[in-house]
Amino acid sequence: MKRTLLVLALVAAVVVGLGSKAPVSTAQEEVTLVLGSWRVDDVEQIEALTAAFHEAYPNINVVFDPTNPPDYNATLQSQFETGNAPDLMYLRSFAVGRGLYDQGFLADVSDLPGLTDAFTEGSLSAWSTEEGVHYGVPLMAVSHGIYYNADLFNELGIEIPETWEELLAAAQVLKDNDYDAFSNASGEPWTIAEIVFMNLAPNYIGGYEGRLAYLNGERCFNDEHAVAAFQAIADLAPYFPKDNSALTYYDSQQIFLLGEAGMWMGGSWDIPFFESEAPDFEWSVFAVPAPEAQEEEYVSFHVDAAIGMNAATEHPDEAQLFLEWMTTPEFAALFGNLLPGFFPLNVQAPTLDNPHADAFLKLNEGRGQDVRWAWDGLLDGEPNGYDLMQNNAISVLNGEINAQEAADNLQNGLAEWLPAAQTCAQ
Amino acid sequence: MTFVQKTLKRFGLIEDWQAPRRRAWLVFLVPGLIVYTLFMAYPLVNSMRLSFYTGIGLRPDHYVGLENYKTLFGDTLWNERFTNALENTFIFFGIHMVVQNSLGLLFATILSQKHLIGRNIYRTFIFIPATMSVLLTAFLWRLILNPRWGMLKVLLERVGHEEWFKAWLGDTKYALIVVSLVSSWQWVGLPTMMFLAGFLRVPDELVEAARVDGANAWQIWFRIKLPLLKPIIGIVTILTFIGNFNAFDVVYAMMGANGPPQYSTDIMGTFFYRAAIAGEHPVARSDMGIGAAVATITFLILMVGVSSWLIFSRQQSEEAVLG
Repeated sequence: MKRTLLVLALVAAVVVGLGSKAPVSTAQEEVTLVLGSWRVDDVEQIEALTAAFHEAYPNINVVFDPTNPPDYNATLQSQFETGNAPDLMYLRSFAVGRGLYDQGFLADVSDLPGLTDAFTEGSLSAWSTEEGVHYGVPLMAVSHGIYYNADLFNELGIEIPETWEELLAAAQVLKDNDYDAFSNASGEPWTIAEIVFMNLAPNYIGGYEGRLAYLNGERCFNDEHAVAAFQAIADLAPYFPKDNSALTYYDSQQIFLLGEAGMWMGGSWDIPFFESEAPDFEWSVFAVPAPEAQEEEYVSFHVDAAIGMNAATEHPDEAQLFLEWMTTPEFAALFGNLLPGFFPLNVQAPTLDNPHADAFLKLNEGRGQDVRWAWDGLLDGEPNGYDLMQNNAISVLNGEINAQEAADNLQNGLAEWLPAAQTCAQ
Repeated sequence: MTFVQKTLKRFGLIEDWQAPRRRAWLVFLVPGLIVYTLFMAYPLVNSMRLSFYTGIGLRPDHYVGLENYKTLFGDTLWNERFTNALENTFIFFGIHMVVQNSLGLLFATILSQKHLIGRNIYRTFIFIPATMSVLLTAFLWRLILNPRWGMLKVLLERVGHEEWFKAWLGDTKYALIVVSLVSSWQWVGLPTMMFLAGFLRVPDELVEAARVDGANAWQIWFRIKLPLLKPIIGIVTILTFIGNFNAFDVVYAMMGANGPPQYSTDIMGTFFYRAAIAGEHPVARSDMGIGAAVATITFLILMVGVSSWLIFSRQQSEEAVLG
């Protein structure tokens, strides 16, 4: 008890000390909200964003307080446990964010004005319970596609492929001309999972609806669709760089940027990096094409972060104002332009000034969108779906197993704990 | 008489100090004891206590008894990763013993030659890597071994043997060996210095006497210098053992926290890091409780190793005395 009092006294002293630095206007009550996050790279941009909010609501200050990404989950958890959590905080999609809600740390924001108009059910679902309670306002998504060297494509007379078969033909042309078709590499395993396998999988499993069929137990994880997705990895294997098992993510980016490869399967978050590297050729992106004779195409458009509200915040009204502001098209335009490559999820997609980011966002037109396959429901047990997809895709890439074996491994691994995978055979 | 006076008297510091003054050494233990208890024993015991708990966050608070140990040894997936990490650590240790410490012995032998020209230069060169940051050496070796623009590949191409180059770091068969060799390369200076100090302490008279008796250089080294080096070899072995079982940085910096490819470079340190602190991307569900269990097992392995060495070396010295 004594210690608690002492801590409180110290905290009070610090607060008073901080407060005394800035003259506090007592006329209108000034409120400071803390916004927790794992995006340590975005401090400048988010501060520009909160400054815009401050202009609209002069009595509310939002302070951006990010934590090192690997420590974020644990830090936030302990902050909640000790009652020091920020008023507003970035939430990871699906399981991790849900865990915080289930422990009662997050406020229910279902009644937030404009929430359901501004976002699709799909984007909201990453921060919703089965009963339809929403506990996060979707903030951003990252997209995936294929970066390509436009100058090289012109030089070799390659058209932007519209089917998977055309993509492989284009890759063959590049290979025949002594270029690497794709500069992707498996030296950092996550890249094969997130920007190769889960990038192309939606086309094969049929996007959101197809993915739900697995989670409902209507499909087994080794059905023809899953096998086809792994087969696509086998198709790509001859077109990856030699010895790519020891090349890092950075290496594979550089191979593309040096003009030694025609294509690179990648994510939208690398737009700023590619722009800063300024390669001496034109580059752009196209979507992973679907196999011939398949009409529907899909983009892996992954909802990455939402902002949630501390259930125990001292300023619920002000925090809610911020969340409400997040549902406006102005916020979407501001956010999308401040952070090229991270896309706001508002249904009224803004036009982005950055041509590369705009090109990436345009991939969504006429295509279905879905999150990365493993995220929703497949991370809640061990062995988790992410590891299984990653490790088996790499084994297929290395030619150690075939697509059918990879899909069987995925099914058998998940069947150890996932009810849908256990009952799908019946 | 106050308590303080009583205590001081007990330790023979006041009044009649003649008889009990032999106990005064106890007082000198106090500072060490306090520091040791506070910063070593308490955290160690507390970490053992934590291994009986589970929970998310920094303070696992849910008591589960031996459940964490059951998971580590019983659960198929956990056990597979755990045994894999343990095996890899023993291989990691083995390579350090064979490569790092044998090379250290060789270098020390060469450097102890009194007529060797440029002794100090060689000594500096051998020791330089040990002064560099692990992050730096790991990055350096990744560059050298890079299969696309690495120096080694270019070198082998120049001598016309491109086929000798392999993407070792991406190969489950070789990755751990390469990482161990890089670590050995970096730290070879330490055993070299310790062995060298040992060699230089060998009395000249012994060497002289052996030479008079007709022993050749090899016999002098093997029959005289090496036996006298035994205690130092023991200490180097123990230090390597402890260092390798607590190793983390070289794998983390060169390969990443998951010990890729396919966990082939996963050692106890990285396994512990994932279990206790980081979780595994993208799940990031770590549990300090099971991490503490891993740490406790590592501690027990170290304790068994170190104590058996202590017992062994004591027997040896007793034999030497009796013999």
